[in-house]
Amino acid sequence: MSLTLEQRKLKRTGFFPAFFIGGLLAASFPILNTAVRPDQFIYQPLPALDILMDANWQMIAMLNLSFLVVGSCIMYHTEFSGRAMQKMEALPQRTGNLFAAKTILLIASLIFVLLLEMASLAFCSYHWFSVDNGFWMDLLKTFGYELALFLPASILVMVIASLCPNMWISLGISVICLFVATMLPTDSFIFSLFPFAMPFQTLTGAPKVSVAPISVLMAAGGETILFGVAEAVLGKIRRNLA
Amino acid sequence: MKFFSYISIELKKIRRSHILWILLIPIVILWIPSIVNSGMNFEMQAEGISPEDNFFIQSFMGLAWFMYPATLVIGTVLLNQTERGNRGILKMLSLPVNPAALCMAKFVVLLMLAAAQMVFMILVYFPSAAIASQMNDYNLMISPFLVLRETGLIYLSSLPMAAFYWMVATCITTPVFSIGIGLASIIPSVLAMNTKVWFVYPMCYPFYMITALQGEMAAHFDTFTIELVPWIPVAAGITIICLAVSCIFFGKSERR
Repeated sequence: MSLTLEQRKLKRTGFFPAFFIGGLLAASFPILNTAVRPDQFIYQPLPALDILMDANWQMIAMLNLSFLVVGSCIMYHTEFSGRAMQKMEALPQRTGNLFAAKTILLIASLIFVLLLEMASLAFCSYHWFSVDNGFWMDLLKTFGYELALFLPASILVMVIASLCPNMWISLGISVICLFVATMLPTDSFIFSLFPFAMPFQTLTGAPKVSVAPISVLMAAGGETILFGVAEAVLGKIRRNLA
Repeated sequence: MKFFSYISIELKKIRRSHILWILLIPIVILWIPSIVNSGMNFEMQAEGISPEDNFFIQSFMGLAWFMYPATLVIGTVLLNQTERGNRGILKMLSLPVNPAALCMAKFVVLLMLAAAQMVFMILVYFPSAAIASQMNDYNLMISPFLVLRETGLIYLSSLPMAAFYWMVATCITTPVFSIGIGLASIIPSVLAMNTKVWFVYPMCYPFYMITALQGEMAAHFDTFTIELVPWIPVAAGITIICLAVSCIFFGKSERR
């Protein structure tokens, strides 16, 4: 019920077309990058996926993060702009459901974007490189890993957006977080756990941080739960103060 | 009504917006690690750049590549949403004011916000360089004239970009697209900068300026040369077209 409701609210905001166009943009990037200068990539003695991820992932991750930032701001902007939020809170419904439904939609849109990017990397691998049998498994593993690393950031942007009635403040805070992530040193494990910095890591690419992927995954899971709890607590506080 | 009073009205509207914090916080975040890691500037001498130049350039590059353009996008959101929330724009447009002047006044306010961030950047640079000099027992401060010149260059070169974002924000009333276009256009600026036709992509101008300076300072980096001839006319053309389009479309969807 509440998922379809949230999806209807987004109908006229252009949310889904924006994610679709954004996904196409991000997916076209590796193809263009490889097509323009194939000599730089095809002779490297590495599996195709590693080369492609090394060359393109930083840009793609940055684009995906900015889609998340914009998406979350829009989702809550529709609630705050006409004081719809107060009406939602007056309904006999748990307010946590609203957050959960919006977050699920955001993550679903992210999965769609990731699928487009996955298809683009697969195309690049088949077109310019020779691929072995384990390719599809590796591709799935890589993108599953990235999806898990995007979860903390997805929930954090939603928490930020749900707190600020004015869109420029939530947008500003999220953009500042994204900016911090681009500046953090990449060789430190602690800094790489910053939710916005996490998606820049790759599973296959040359690891700058010598930490097992499993511990990064556990940290991502921990952060996801932490931000979920934070939203529950902050939501209660906000309603008591309002 | 004089143009000046349009601007002062616009400034009053954003008085309680907390935007100055959003401009200031990234600057502070930018300089703290730069001071803490200031010892690393001495390792860059192999590239032919002196530590004081490196200290200056790294932080200004950090600002110019992502945060400064993003600030302009946030500024456009602020200026539009303060009007559209509670339908303030309808009331403004029903007054005997010239919509084009209103549009230009808002653009000037956007430029003032950008200028505020640049001023913060300079104001924080000098104490940061002084603290870092103390920590390392080495003078990490470069000449104030160069700092001012470079900041001015970044600011001036960002005018076409600001005009472009302002046009996007006034013409596309769906916020998800105007913000999305803004943020997504920043990210490929590094790629656009490396092509021969960099001057048709206004989003990379500020970063191009600072990279050109780095090329001058460091002996072993690729140099980006600033050729004025195709660049200035193209930049001026982009600015004028964007501002004209935004003046024409300002308030169009509300006046229907």
